[in-house]
Amino acid sequence: MNTIVLTVVLPLLAAFIVPVLSRVSPLLGRLLGPLTLAYAILLTLQVWLGMEGKPFSIALGGFQPPLGINFYVDRLSLLFTFLTLVTSLLLWPWRNETEPRQYALTLLLAASACGLALSGDLFNIYVFYELISVASFGLAAATRSGAAFAASLRYLILSGLGSVLVLCGIAIVYLQTGTLNLAQLSQLAPETLNTPLGLSAFALILLGIGVKGELFPVNSWVPEVYAAASGRVSGLLAGLVSKLAVLVIVRLLVLLFQQESALHLMLILGLLGAITGELAAWRAKDMNRMLAFSSIGQLGVIFIAFSIPGETGLFAGLALSLHHLLVKPALFLLAERWWGSLAGLRGAGLASPVAGGLFVLLALSLVGMPPLPGFWAKFLLFTGLAAQSAVIYQVAIGVVLLSIVIEANYLFRVVMDLFQPAEDDRATVVDGHGWLNLGTTFLLSALLIAGMLLMGPLGAWLEGVAMQAADPVLYFDTVFSVSAIH
Amino acid sequence: MTPLDELLLFSGLTLVLMLLLGRFSYAGKIATVFYAGQLLFLAKMADRIIDGSIVTFSLQVELFGLQMSWRFDALSWFFAVITLGAGLLSSWYASGEWGERFRRQGGNLWLLHVALAANVFSMLILLGSGDLLALFIGWELVSWASFLLMTVAGGRAIQAAMRYITYAMSGAMAILAGIVLLWSHAGGLQYGQIIDVIAQLSQAQVWLLVALFGSGFAVKMGLLPFHLWQAPAYAETPGPGAAFFGAISARMGLYAIILVLVQLIGLARLSELTIPFTFLDMRDLWAWIAVLTIILPTYTALRQTDARYLLAWHGIGQGGYMLLGVVLGDALGSAGGLLHVFNYATNQAVLFFAVFAVMFRTGTADLNKLGGLITRMPISFFAMLVGIIGLAGLPPMNGFVSKWFVYRSLMIEGEPLLFLGAIIGTLGTILSVYKLIHNTFLGQLRVEHVEVREAPWSMVAPMIILMLLIFATGVAPGLVLDWVALVQSAVGLPVVENTLGGVELTSGSLDMLWVVGVLFAGFGIGALLFYSGGRTRQVHQLDNYAGGHFLTAETRYHYSDNFYAGLMHLIRPWYRGSFVWLESTLGSLLGIAASLMQRLYGALHPSIYLLVTVVVTLTWVLL
Repeated sequence: MNTIVLTVVLPLLAAFIVPVLSRVSPLLGRLLGPLTLAYAILLTLQVWLGMEGKPFSIALGGFQPPLGINFYVDRLSLLFTFLTLVTSLLLWPWRNETEPRQYALTLLLAASACGLALSGDLFNIYVFYELISVASFGLAAATRSGAAFAASLRYLILSGLGSVLVLCGIAIVYLQTGTLNLAQLSQLAPETLNTPLGLSAFALILLGIGVKGELFPVNSWVPEVYAAASGRVSGLLAGLVSKLAVLVIVRLLVLLFQQESALHLMLILGLLGAITGELAAWRAKDMNRMLAFSSIGQLGVIFIAFSIPGETGLFAGLALSLHHLLVKPALFLLAERWWGSLAGLRGAGLASPVAGGLFVLLALSLVGMPPLPGFWAKFLLFTGLAAQSAVIYQVAIGVVLLSIVIEANYLFRVVMDLFQPAEDDRATVVDGHGWLNLGTTFLLSALLIAGMLLMGPLGAWLEGVAMQAADPVLYFDTVFSVSAIH
Repeated sequence: MTPLDELLLFSGLTLVLMLLLGRFSYAGKIATVFYAGQLLFLAKMADRIIDGSIVTFSLQVELFGLQMSWRFDALSWFFAVITLGAGLLSSWYASGEWGERFRRQGGNLWLLHVALAANVFSMLILLGSGDLLALFIGWELVSWASFLLMTVAGGRAIQAAMRYITYAMSGAMAILAGIVLLWSHAGGLQYGQIIDVIAQLSQAQVWLLVALFGSGFAVKMGLLPFHLWQAPAYAETPGPGAAFFGAISARMGLYAIILVLVQLIGLARLSELTIPFTFLDMRDLWAWIAVLTIILPTYTALRQTDARYLLAWHGIGQGGYMLLGVVLGDALGSAGGLLHVFNYATNQAVLFFAVFAVMFRTGTADLNKLGGLITRMPISFFAMLVGIIGLAGLPPMNGFVSKWFVYRSLMIEGEPLLFLGAIIGTLGTILSVYKLIHNTFLGQLRVEHVEVREAPWSMVAPMIILMLLIFATGVAPGLVLDWVALVQSAVGLPVVENTLGGVELTSGSLDMLWVVGVLFAGFGIGALLFYSGGRTRQVHQLDNYAGGHFLTAETRYHYSDNFYAGLMHLIRPWYRGSFVWLESTLGSLLGIAASLMQRLYGALHPSIYLLVTVVVTLTWVLL
C-alpha cells in the first residue's frame, strides 16, 4: 500500500536525473519521463484496487502523526494522483527533444502535484504548492518569447504574493491550534477555528491558493500566460494545476473551516469569477485568450459548486472539475494550431474537418448540451444550488445560467467562423494539426463520449468519492487508528 | 418492441443513413422513402392512440435518482404526424432537380439531409418525452438540430442562426431554471409528481414557474417579445429546410406550452394568477400576447419585399392564432388552435414550396423583380393560390375552418377586444398574401422570364399533394378534427363534438360540405353566366392595364414596388422598431460590460486587486 509514496518520489527523482541522463544518452533521456509516469500510473492503479475503497494513512519516516508527517490516501486523493499522472503523460512535451529542462519541469510538476493531493498536513501542502509554482513558472516561460517572459513575471509576482498570504493563513491556524496535521486540526477546528480569526485564516489561504485556482480577482495572470504558453502547458495549468488548488481549498473547507461565512465568501468570489470571465471571453479577439477567460469563468462555476455545503457540493464540484479537466486541455491543444486572431480562423474548420468537428463536440459539452457529460455536471450543480435556502444560492443559479448563454454565444461564433469559407484575399493560415495534438484531443473526446455512455455508473462512483471525502470523522479515525503503515 | 421503439429506431436509422449516404445524389430519394416508413410506424400506433392509451418506449434511463422515460400520447402523435409529413414532403422536394442544382451551386446537400433527419429525429424524441428531464433534453436537441439546419446556407444565414441560438439558449436556460425550481420542491421530475407539487405551491411560485417556462417556450414559438430571430433564420434556410421549419419547427414551442401550461399547471390555475396593478390575470396576459403576436409580425410581413421573409414573418403571426385558441381553453377554441397547427403547416409548406419553385426557375424571391409568371408556372401559381386562401382563412380551404373556430369561440366567450385584434391580424394577412401572389404571378411578365418553365415534377408533386390535402381537409375538416378531439381528451381540455363537415353547435353550426357546396354552386352559376353571356375575347398577357392606363408590350409595367403606398402612408408611424431597438440596446450593454471586464483583467499591476481583496475580506471578516 505504501507504494503510493513512489508516485511522488519517482517523478521527483526522475526530474533530477533527466538533465544529466539526456547528456549521456538522449534516447534514454526522452524515454525516462514517460516510463516513470507510466509506472507511477500502474502503481496508483494497484493501490486503487488494493484499498477496496477504504481510506488509509501512511506515516512517513516512521513517526506517527501528529508528530510525523503523513500521506492521507482516500478515493479523492488517489483520483487526483491518478489524474495528475495521466494528464502529465498525455500532455508530455514529446516534441521538445532538445529541451530536457521541459521534461524535468513536467516531472517536477507531476511529482509535486501528487504530493499535494496526498499530503495530510498543512506544512507539506505548502511545500508541494511552492514546488508546483516553481515548475509552472518554468513551463509558462518555456516558449522563450518576450510575451511569455512578461506573462511569467506577472504570474510569478502574483503567485509569490499569494504564497505569502497562504503562509500567513497557515501561521494563524498554527497559532490557534498548535498543530498543522489535518487530522488533528479537524478535531480541534470546531472549537478553535470557528472564530473570525479562523475565518480570516481561511480567507488568506483561499486568496493565496486561489491564484493558481484562477479565483477572482487574483487571476489576471491567466489570459497573458495562456496566450503566450504552448497548448500543452496551458492545458496543464488550466486543466490540472487549477484543480489541485481547488482540491486543497476543498479539503480545508471540509476539515477545518466548516463555517457558513467561509462558503459564502467562496461563493461570492466564484460568482464574480464566472460572470467576469465569461464576459471578458465574449469580447476576446484571439483563441487562446478566449479559452483562458472562459477557463476563469468555468473555474468560477467550480468554486460556486464547492461552496454548496455537504457532499452535494463536493459531488457537483468534482463532476464539473473532471469535465473541465477533460475538455479544457483538449481545446487548448486544438487552439495551438489556431493561433492568432479569431477573425483569421475563417475556413480553418473546413481545412481540417476532424479538428473542427472535435472543437464542436467539446464546445457543445462545455456549454452543457444534453446528453453530453457537461450537461450532467451542470445539472448536479443546479439541483445542488436549488436545494439551498439562502438567497445567494438562488442568485447563483441565475448567474450561472446567464454565463452559459454568453459562453454558447462566443463559442459558437468561433465555430461558425471555423466553418465559413475563407475570404478570397485572406489565405488560410492553418496547415492542419500535428497528429500528436489531434490524437490527444481525439483521445480526450473519446473519453468524453465514453463518460456520456457510462454516465450512470460513473455518477454513482463519483458520488461515493464525494461522500468519502465529505466525512471529517472518517479522516480523523483513519489517521489516528492503528492503520499507519511504515 | 413497441411501435414507439420501432419508430424511434427507424428515425435514428434514417439519420445514420443520411450521415453515411447524404453526399450521394440518390440520398433525397432514400430519405423520402424512410420518412414514409416512419409515417407507417406512426400509423401503426394509431389504433392505440385512438383507444386513448399511451405507447411507451422500452428503454428507460435512470440517472442521479431521476427516471427518464419516453412515450407517445395523442398530443405527441398529432404533432408527430405533422412533423413526419413535413419531413417527407420536404425531402421529396429536395430529392430531384432542386438538390442537384443546390449541390452544383456549391451548397452542402449532405448537411441539408443530415440536418433535416436530425431535426425530425430530435423532434420525435421531444414529442415522446415522458418527464421534464426528458423534455429538456429533447428541447435542447431540437434547438441544436435547428441551428444545424439554419447554418446550411452560410453567409447571412449564419448571422441569423447565431441570433437564433442566442435566443434559444436563453430560453433553454429559463426552462432549466424552471425545472430546477420544480425539482427542489418535488424531488423528482415525473409529470405526476409535478402536478401534485404545483397544486401545493404558492401563487408567487407558480407565477415564477409560468414566467420561466413560458418565456423559454415562447422563444421557440416566436411569441412577442422573443420573435425577432425567427423570420431571418427560417427565410435564409434553403428551400426544403425553410418549408420544414415553417411547417412545424416553431410548433414544438406550442407542444411544450400545451404540455406544461395546460396539462401540468392547468388553465384554471393560470386564471387565478392575477397581475398586480391591473385587472388582468395570467391567462388574459397569454391571450393578449397571442393577439399581439398575430398583429405585429403580420404587419411586419406586409412590408417585406422578399417572398421568403414575407412568409416567415407570417409564420410568427399564425402561431398567435394557435396559442389564442389553446389559451381560450373551451372545446371550440382549443380545437381551432390545434386544428390550425395542422392547417397552417400544410399552407405554409405549400407556399414555401411555390416560392422556392419560382426561385429555382428565376433565381430570385425579390417581389420587386418578379411578375406575370402565371402563364409560365401555372401549377406553382395554383399551389400558391390554394396556400394563400388557406393562410388568409377563406373558404373553401382548411385555414378557414380553424380560424372560424377561434373567432367563434372568442364570440361565445365574450372577448370582443381579442376578437377585434384577431380580425385586424387577418386583414393584414389578406393584404400581404395578395401582395405575394400579385407581385409574383400576376401582371405583366418580365422580359427576362419569358423562357421560364414550370418547376420539375419532383418539386411540383409535393405541392399537388399539399393542395389536395388543403382542399380535402377544408371540405371535410372532420378528418383532422377526429385527431384533435383525441388530443383534447388526452390533454384534459373539453372535447369538441365534430362532424365530418365541421361542428354542431346550438349557437350556429359549421358544415363545410354545405359551405363548399354553395360556393361551388356560385362558381357554377358564374361560369354559366360567363360562358353563355356573350362575347369574350382572348387577350395577350401583355395587353393589360394598370391604374387606369393601358399597358402593352411596348410599355412593360408591373406595379410591385412600394405596394400599398396609400395604406403605408397611413400606418407607417406605427412601425417603431421598438423590439429591434431593445435587442440592440441589450447587445450594446453586454458589449460595454464585456469591455470593462477586459480592462479589469488587463490591469498593469494586478497585485493591487489581491491587496484590495485581502483588505476588504479581512475587514468584512473581523467586523
